[in-house]
Parts: sequence; C-alpha cells; structure tokens
Amino acid sequence: MFELRSRTARLGLTAVLVVMVIPFVIPLYTMVYGSFQGRGWDNYRSVMALEGFYTYFRNSIIISVATIALVFLLTMSASFGFSKLRIRNKEVYFWVLMGALTMPEVVLLTPLVILVSEAGIAGTFWAVIIPLVALQIPFTTLLTRSYVDGIPDSLFEAAHIDGAGTWKQFWYVLVPLAKPMAAAIVVLVMINSWNAYLLPLVLLGQADGNMVVTQLPNSFRTQYTDDQTRILAGAVLAALPEIIAYVALQRHFERGMAAGAIK
Amino acid sequence: MATSATTASDEPLARAAARPGGDAARRRPHRTSPGLRWILPGFVVSAGLIYFCIAYSGYVSLLPWDWRPRRPATLEGLGSYGRALQDPLFWTSLQHTLVFFVAAYVVQCALGIIFAAMLHSKVYGGNLFKILIFVPVVIAPAIMAPVHRRVFAVDGPINWILERLGLIDVDAVGSRNWTGWLSSGLAQIGLADVTPNWIQPSTSLWVIVAVQVWSSVGIAFILFYASMGQIDPEVLEASRLDGAGNLRVLVSVVVPGLKPTIVALAILNAITALKLFDYPYLITAGGPAHSSEFLGTYIYAQLFGVSSHYGYAATLSMLLLVLALALSITMSRSARERRPGRKVKGVGL
Repeated sequence: MFELRSRTARLGLTAVLVVMVIPFVIPLYTMVYGSFQGRGWDNYRSVMALEGFYTYFRNSIIISVATIALVFLLTMSASFGFSKLRIRNKEVYFWVLMGALTMPEVVLLTPLVILVSEAGIAGTFWAVIIPLVALQIPFTTLLTRSYVDGIPDSLFEAAHIDGAGTWKQFWYVLVPLAKPMAAAIVVLVMINSWNAYLLPLVLLGQADGNMVVTQLPNSFRTQYTDDQTRILAGAVLAALPEIIAYVALQRHFERGMAAGAIK
Repeated sequence: MATSATTASDEPLARAAARPGGDAARRRPHRTSPGLRWILPGFVVSAGLIYFCIAYSGYVSLLPWDWRPRRPATLEGLGSYGRALQDPLFWTSLQHTLVFFVAAYVVQCALGIIFAAMLHSKVYGGNLFKILIFVPVVIAPAIMAPVHRRVFAVDGPINWILERLGLIDVDAVGSRNWTGWLSSGLAQIGLADVTPNWIQPSTSLWVIVAVQVWSSVGIAFILFYASMGQIDPEVLEASRLDGAGNLRVLVSVVVPGLKPTIVALAILNAITALKLFDYPYLITAGGPAHSSEFLGTYIYAQLFGVSSHYGYAATLSMLLLVLALALSITMSRSARERRPGRKVKGVGL
C-alpha cells in the first residue's frame, strides 16, 4: 500500500510497526512473565495438580465437539433445504430464523436459568450444548445458504437423473462441494463454544468437575484469594490450545473469524 | 459478505435472466418433493428454543418474581417496564454501552486500517505481526480477563511503563502519584480525581474499552487487509503518477474503497456492545460503584446478586431484545444496500 523505495524506508516502517504492536504484546508478555514469577515451573505444577484439572479441558472438549457436530449437521441440511428443495413458505421460515441472528445470550439467560432449574437438567452438558447450538445456527445457516446458492442446480439435477435420491444428493454432492464453507463454520463454532463463559457458568454450575476451560484461571481467584502467579499460569494453560490451533491453521482461522464478523 | 442469499429466490426472474450465464436456471427450485424435513431440525432447535425463551421471558417480566424460589401466581403487569425506564442504572448501563461502542469502534477502525495498510507494504516479518495482532481475537475473553486485571493493576505493567517514562512518582510508602506537572495539568482540565489506579470510577469504563480494542483490532485488521487486497493496483499506480503521496493515496483512494467494511464493523461493534459481559464482569464486576456497568452485567446482577429478581431481570432482557432487534433490522437493510458493491473492484475516483 505504502510505496517504499529504499531499504531504509522499509526498515523505518517496520520499526514504526514494532512500536505500534507493543500494546498488543503487553498482555501476552504479562501473562507468560507473571506465570513464572516466584516459583517458576512449580506454578504450573501446582495448577496441574489442581483436583480435576483435566476435567476443565475434558468438559470443554465434549461441549465443543458436540456443538460443532450438531451445528454442522443441522446447518448443512437446513442450507440444502433452503437453497435447493421446494418448501412452501420457505422464505417465511428463513426470516423467522434470521430474526434470531443477533440474539444476545444475556437475553436467554433468565428463561434458561428458570427452565433448567425447573426441568432439573441443571449441570448436564445438554443444558449448555443446546443453547450454544441454537445461538449459532441462524448465522451459520445464513452463511452456508448463500454459499450453496452458488452451487449450480445442474449438478443436483445430474445426480437426480443418475438415480440419486435426496439423501445421496446431500451426502455426495452438497457436503463435498460445501467443504470450504464447512471449514469456516467449524472454526467459527469451535472458537465460540470453546470461548463460551456465561452459559457454562450459569447452566453447568460451578460445582467441582462441572467447570470449563474458560473458568480455569478465575477459579484460583475464589479458592486462593487472588493468587496471581497461579491465575496467570492457569491462563497460559487455558489459552495454549487456542494459540497452537490458530498458528497451525492460521489461514482457516482468519477466514472463519472474518466470515463470522460480517453478519 | 454472505447476506446475498436471503432474497435469492424471490428475486424477479427477469432480473436474473438478464445476466449472462445460467442464473435464471439456478434460481429456480428444481425439485417438487417437500423439503421441509431438511430444515425442520435446525429450525426447531434454534428458532424453537430462542422464540420460546423470548416468550417465556416476556411472561416472567410481567410477574412480581422477587426474593423467592417459587413462581408467583399473580401477574404484576407492565409495572416493571415503567420501573426499568425510571431506573437510573438502566440508563447508566445504556450510556456506557453507547460510549463503549463509539470509542471502541473508532479506535478499532483507525488501527485496523493503519495496520492493514502497513502490512500491505513491504515490511519485514509481515506474518509475525499478523499473528501478534490476531492472537487476541482468538483467545477467550474470560481467559484473558485476569491477565488484563494484572496489566492495569496499580503495580502492573502499564504503571511500570509510565513510571519509566517519568510520568508517575512512587513515594516512600510505595503509593503512586502523577509527577508534579502532569498532576497539575490533569487538575487544570478537571481530571483531578484521576490517579494512576485504573480500576476506579473515573477510568474503569476506559479500561474495558482498551481491553475490547486490544481483542478486536485483529478482526478489523483482517477484514481491511482482505478488502485492500481487492483494490486494483493500477488505480494506485495512476494516483501515484498524478503525484499523490503515500498518505494522500491512503486517505483519498484506499479508505473510500473500504466503506462496506467500515459499515459492517459498525454493526458488528454495536452487537458486541449490547452483548458485552465477560470483560466487565471479570475485570471490574461492573464497578466500582457501577462505573462500568453494562446491560449484561446488570441483568446478571439481578439474577445472581444478593437476591434474585427474576421478574426484573426478564424485563431488562426484553428491553435489550428490543434494541438487538432494532439492530437486526438496520443490519439487514444495510446488507441489502451493500450488496451491489460488495466486491470492491477498483475504487471510484
């Protein structure tokens, strides 16, 4: 964008960039530096020795995987229906679904808390997974439908002439062709479900063994009255899977999150 | 970007047919078998649950449901809505939401555009910078919140840097104060009560804004980076030949081409501001003295505070819902307007 004719100009602009990036590095540096203060690696050992340390990760993995699988299946089939099948009043259904597009989860909080406690399913994974799925579907369907609209009907017609039923068209034509969009959806839903804090906090409860990874750093605040080094070590351990996943799949993450931004 | 499909099938065929290629054929539903069962599962889970919750919330908002675990049998009616509209904390939360939205949005756009322009230039180590700017987007706010509390702590890194820059003095007891000239300068512009303690009534909202900017510039950057990549290099070349300098090209040629992204980010930020919960709850707990209270934290406090006010929490949720819906409508409107110029190919000069 900026035209840089000389080496000096390139170095100069890079130097400006370094200065501008410093504020972005400060929290990351604080996190890592603080986590080693005092007793060094022992901070990490004591975090990992926390009773039920692995259940934080296990619970988050269960919730994320189930949410991704459900959102993927429901979104793909809904997009197929909305885009390629004949449904009476199709657009009415679509707009009703899109009405839920910008639903803040806080709005669902009161009814969910009451419903879950009255139905007696508080503390089960379903109490978290179903609301998470419900909140993702309007947007993922919007994204995927417009993508599937771009797949020519003639491909489905050809499959139909070759004797493929609706099921086969779905599995062998739509799902493979929608792969690029599927990657974006998986990344987006993965981030949203792994990062979820409010819904698990309220619906899963704060009992031992019911916590998710986003609650890990904060659990030291209540238990050990603001034990900074362990809070920070916990934050590093909780953030590490995400940072590794992002660096490994950088392009997919950037595309998925960018798609998620343009609602 | 992906909103074009919403009107795909009710679009007049004549318009589609006028375009070259098989557009008309593509837009015709080709099957006669009912496909309702393909959309129903997703529709029921999502719309079913969400609309049921809204209806239930509407019902609870009419109940005088305070203090007790059992649902009351009598309706209170719309009284709680009147109470909410006269509740100074409701308006304070809304005001914070608005301030937060404007401040975070402006800074996020400005930094996003600058970073995108710089990384489109030939700088060294481009991808490393990209990762550093984008990592904050990926990490969960709830995980970073305790880190930010540390960053803004009285003896934290921000104050450490200010101290090294000579802006803060540490006295014998270890308490921090602005250096003489800065302190009198702040007093001059009416900020005498601001001390280098950031989680306090006069500055806590700005801590939340700063943290939000930290975690959302990456999104703006990626979007601007993508749309800048679509600007025709020949247009840039032409404006350079006409004698425009780097800054001139950025302001007059590049930025106008980013308008769709800037609009999209406004909507995204407005939704984020309405949804905001994790950061204020975990960094400042909405305080001190409600100075960083948002609708999310206020509703949460009504539910799980010293006493549970289910009815009032539901009322506040319904008001928040009205705001979110108003945004939804604005959003789909602007998405429709945006559609024709979605792909920025070259820039109008």
